[in-house]
Amino acid sequence: MFDTVLVANRGEIALRVIRTLRRLGVRSVAVHSDADADAPHVRAADLAVRLGPADRSDSSAAETYLRTDQILAAARRTGAQAVHPGYGFLAENPGFARACAEAGLAFIGPPPGAVELMGDKINAKDAVRVAGVPVVPGSQGGSPSDADLTRAAAEIGYPVLLKPSAGGGGKGMRLVRDPADLPAELAAARRVARTAFGDDTLLLERWVDRPRHIEVQVLADTHGRTVHLGERECSLQRRHQKLIEEAPSVLLNPETRAAMGEAAVRAAEACGYTGAGTVEFIVPGLDPDRPTPTGVLDFFFMEMNTRLQVEHPVTELAIAVGADTAHPRRLDLVEWQLRIAAGEPLPFEQDDISFLGHAVEARICAEDADRDFLPTGGRILHLAEPGGEGIRVDSGVATGTEIGSLYDPMLAKVIAYGPDRPTALRRLRAALAETDILGVTTNTGFLRRLLAHPEVVAGRLDTGLVERSVQQTPVLLAAPTEHADPAAATGDGVSTVELLYVAAALARQLSLSPTAAPGGWADPFSLPSGWRLGGEAAWTAHHLRLPGRDPVTVRVRPSTAEILAEGTDNPSDQTPDLQIRLDDGPIRRARAELAGHRLQITVDGLRTTFTHTTDDAPFQRVTWLGLDGDAWAVHPYDPVADRTAAGATQHGALTAPMPGTVTVVKAAVGEQVKRGQALLVLEAMKMEHVIAAPYDGTVSELRAAAGGTVAMDELLAVVTAFEDATGSGTEAAAAAGTSSEVAS
Amino acid sequence: MVLSTFGSTAGLPAGPASGGFGGGIGDGAADRTGGAIRGTDAAAAPAPRLKSAVDAGSAAYRANVGAHRALVAELRAKLAAAALGGGEKARARHTSRGKLLPRDRVDTLLDPGSPFLELCPLAADGLYDGAAPAAGVIAGIGRVAGREVVVVANDATVKGGTYYPMTVKKHLRAQEVALENRLPCIYLVDSGGAFLPMQDEVFPDRDHFGRIFYNQARLSAAGIPQIAAVLGSCTAGGAYVPAMSDQAVIVRNQGTIFLGGPPLVKAATGEVVTAEELGGGELHSKTSGVTDHLAEDDAHALSIVRTIVAGLGPRAAQPWPLAPVEPPAVDPAGLYGAVPVDPRTPYDVREVIARLVDGSRFAEFKAEYGTTLVTGFAKIHGHPVGIVANNGVLFAESALKGAHFIELCDQRGIPLLFLQNITGFMVGRQYEAGGIAKHGAKMVTAVACTRVPKLTVVIGGSYGAGNYSMCGRAYSPRFLWMWPGAKISVMGGEQAASVLATVRRDQLEAQGGEWPAEAEDEFKRPVREQYERQGNAYYATARLWDDGVIDPLDTRTALGLALTACANAPLAEPRPYGVFRM
Repeated sequence: MFDTVLVANRGEIALRVIRTLRRLGVRSVAVHSDADADAPHVRAADLAVRLGPADRSDSSAAETYLRTDQILAAARRTGAQAVHPGYGFLAENPGFARACAEAGLAFIGPPPGAVELMGDKINAKDAVRVAGVPVVPGSQGGSPSDADLTRAAAEIGYPVLLKPSAGGGGKGMRLVRDPADLPAELAAARRVARTAFGDDTLLLERWVDRPRHIEVQVLADTHGRTVHLGERECSLQRRHQKLIEEAPSVLLNPETRAAMGEAAVRAAEACGYTGAGTVEFIVPGLDPDRPTPTGVLDFFFMEMNTRLQVEHPVTELAIAVGADTAHPRRLDLVEWQLRIAAGEPLPFEQDDISFLGHAVEARICAEDADRDFLPTGGRILHLAEPGGEGIRVDSGVATGTEIGSLYDPMLAKVIAYGPDRPTALRRLRAALAETDILGVTTNTGFLRRLLAHPEVVAGRLDTGLVERSVQQTPVLLAAPTEHADPAAATGDGVSTVELLYVAAALARQLSLSPTAAPGGWADPFSLPSGWRLGGEAAWTAHHLRLPGRDPVTVRVRPSTAEILAEGTDNPSDQTPDLQIRLDDGPIRRARAELAGHRLQITVDGLRTTFTHTTDDAPFQRVTWLGLDGDAWAVHPYDPVADRTAAGATQHGALTAPMPGTVTVVKAAVGEQVKRGQALLVLEAMKMEHVIAAPYDGTVSELRAAAGGTVAMDELLAVVTAFEDATGSGTEAAAAAGTSSEVAS
Repeated sequence: MVLSTFGSTAGLPAGPASGGFGGGIGDGAADRTGGAIRGTDAAAAPAPRLKSAVDAGSAAYRANVGAHRALVAELRAKLAAAALGGGEKARARHTSRGKLLPRDRVDTLLDPGSPFLELCPLAADGLYDGAAPAAGVIAGIGRVAGREVVVVANDATVKGGTYYPMTVKKHLRAQEVALENRLPCIYLVDSGGAFLPMQDEVFPDRDHFGRIFYNQARLSAAGIPQIAAVLGSCTAGGAYVPAMSDQAVIVRNQGTIFLGGPPLVKAATGEVVTAEELGGGELHSKTSGVTDHLAEDDAHALSIVRTIVAGLGPRAAQPWPLAPVEPPAVDPAGLYGAVPVDPRTPYDVREVIARLVDGSRFAEFKAEYGTTLVTGFAKIHGHPVGIVANNGVLFAESALKGAHFIELCDQRGIPLLFLQNITGFMVGRQYEAGGIAKHGAKMVTAVACTRVPKLTVVIGGSYGAGNYSMCGRAYSPRFLWMWPGAKISVMGGEQAASVLATVRRDQLEAQGGEWPAEAEDEFKRPVREQYERQGNAYYATARLWDDGVIDPLDTRTALGLALTACANAPLAEPRPYGVFRM
């Protein structure tokens, strides 16, 4: 075994590898960009080496984690004997694998030749086909005639897809399900291909209905033994990005599992594979209208990933060596990568390996499922990862980690194990509900809802399911704030949006209480009592806004009026009842308690517990609230700033700031101008003053000509706002123009 | 004896015998950090806790609770009515112009959620045929940008915010509070100036309208910031409020400042001009320079004021050490039951003290001597206080004890709290011969001359010379409040009626006449009624004889806020008392 290994990666996989290195007593070396200087993987490693240009800071992957020369230099400096590439970056770069070998370093992965072969999709398919691994059947090359293609279709089996040979991007593709339609479709396809690409050569391949992505993990040692570790199903994807992976697949019967396993081993052997790899297959889903077939199902080779996969933990949790013995043993795939790279033989055989239970993984990414999965970012203000029976978290972040656009948006993986699939799914859902990530919007809540989707629960997966569901049944997957709430419809309950506003207001109200040092004096003026003579406290207004929504005002006050009515209340009671009112809604009774990051609020007797934090802005802090995996940023809203900003733009009359000469006029009456666009230039006191449009609009008046002299406060131009020709903007601009004339 | 020897103690650190307050004396030294006191444990010698002896199950207790609730309900009803200002129509008209109501202005100005110690909310109650609720102006102490300030806000829904006599008195009272406690002043101006029909009671005298601007100049000269926000009219004399301020804000198309309004201008010169042209925000912010900041609306103006206050220089250091706050150990809610509403029913005033002070801890002074006056040290909301409380009629010993205790507090720089429930000094030949007048005079001298802040709460009767020795309004307490059942007059109605009847009977009988008992009763009834009416707390508060009638349960909060306000002003150097007649 090596005694020092450099991990040429970052994030969760670097931490994952370092964990195993530590367990094996191997010294770990991290590498990092400047942006990652304080990242968790750097803190976890025994040694760390900075990557990037010496003379400046550039944290782009190209200048850091993709720099073979710098990584090899780091290995030299730290005495590393081997390099673990993780996934991504240089993991499937044959040049890097070769450079490692040339530098005398063990590359923890397959031989460069295998990486190269499998990296070429066409050659890979040819190679495995020769080894007897099924690939998606299709017509051979050349320029097949209609007759050739008809014959090929009959051999391949329907449905088939016609593709222009010269095409791309799906243009001109035609799906044919019935042999009777083929001649007409061929003609149409050739016509489109000729028009679009100037070449009517067509290819034909088998169309896979309800495709499922099922992959097989293999391990091959350097002594000629290759085994497979069963399959993982990764059909829950969005735009080819895997979201949820599980092992085993509910689709496969034992015969198919065995056949796919053997095919995967053959594929690995075909390229002289060593180490851990994954052979990906596409498998047609079952037709719900037909009986479940028996025997070996169709499956087709897609590609081989010559590295550790993101989703390898489901295999680690679901596969055991000696499952039927008293002491079944789980496998640490990183450990076996290391042992194989160090030349150790695999001490178990295929027959020793079987599934023991079920594992499901969810990938938590910095993206906003409610905004078309756009990447998000920010700083993680509060992080609490789930735990408990059967839960594993592979995380690459910590409280304080900045999430930017430099690297992969995946923050962490939550993996649940259970003796059966329903248990594993239930545990994973519960774990995601306990995953608190505040400060950065993530897809955690979305994943949690996806796991409860009826098709997912039933195991009827395919690679289009997620996108279809987002479109067709958004209510199942959207955050509770994104659709009408049944509670709100009755007028009695509190909708999630209202609850968020109420919770944020209560948290802000609590934060008004001074945090007196123990033994310190509590200034009675600093207590947020709203105390007034007359028994009724003043309302404290909290102006809040959820992104994309109209601002609201939530008013809070202690309900002190009860003291008179009940007479026995102790005014020194530290958790007083509060009254709370959202805009003009009903006044509700509330209580709130904040302990650490747990915000417990009770509204009209119903208690909800949020995760809570704020950002650390000096004023106007953003309140983050988390509930069941979803997180929201409730922004403070300053109505004064908003109104005065509007006011400033309303007064669109531009006057001379001092007496001077107009040197340039850059706009004309009626011209549409952009905010900030220069309209004219005034020279005064040997200085040039640019008079610019205060907002987007139309120049409605222009009183200056080049060369003309103007007096101070003389009206030079009026800009009328675009949107409201009849609105207040126009009126105010006109009014301002009048008063400017009065002033000058 | 003239206590000029005080001068020799001036350089010594002040601190009470209970320890922990002293500055710079070994381990017991209080560690002053950010106005808070920490690390007193080593020297902690906490005062014993008072215990309540009342029986909460007794009929008397229940009767007291019922009577207090009725009194407080009346108080709340009056406060709620006064808070509405000029009524629904005037309020609707006010808000329809995009203006905030005056109380909303105050709430918006203050730090979120912070308390507001309002002054004289029932001023002019029952005066001017009820035309001026709260005298048309809101005054009080609140916190803005972390600083305690005095806020004076005109209520334009009350006769256009014009100044009645009580409006002037209230405005001046607020400025007095600002001066004594060195609190910045914020004027939210929306006023048509003097109430012209009563100009003779508003304009000419020393403490009339002009005094407001005199005060502004003197306050500013004393380094007490004067800030005005012009949220409406600011006419004639009113124009001087912003003009005399250090910094002024005005709302565009809403605030106006002019010495003579458009009607007066037209009458004087024939010039026709709109209010906005004559004295609007644009004019004063861009041309005249009368105002310094131009705001878009009320909320914007108030936010500018908050920014101005945030930029004021630092406040003075607290003049006395501050301890961690402890709620009373005896539940304050029991005040209603423990205190009889009839001032003639005797009870132990320690039942009140126990429900007001931190931890109900009370270090009593001279507990066995002059027992009709209770004196001792305690803390309220962490502030040290010396309490002087009546527990019966004042005798010579009580007065001497009181004078002694006031001297103690003065030397140690401890604020004084007077709890008044006093029928007066003991009368009779024996007591006059014992020199009760000169002993009472000693206490009055001590009260009048002490340098420490004094707070007074009239919790029962306030009669005769007892009012003087217990720091009545004439003795310039920093703050003075009355409980709703309290009474104030030169003597009780019954006594006054009897005195007058006795004089009358003597006259009649000297003339050989007779005075039947029924006739005497008929003579006494209107006297009793007059005293009953004029001795009422609301009669008093309407005329600003106090700073407000408060719910007994609010007393502790009001005292804590008031002491915190007082702590803005440094203590005066020790100074000689007047001659104590020995």
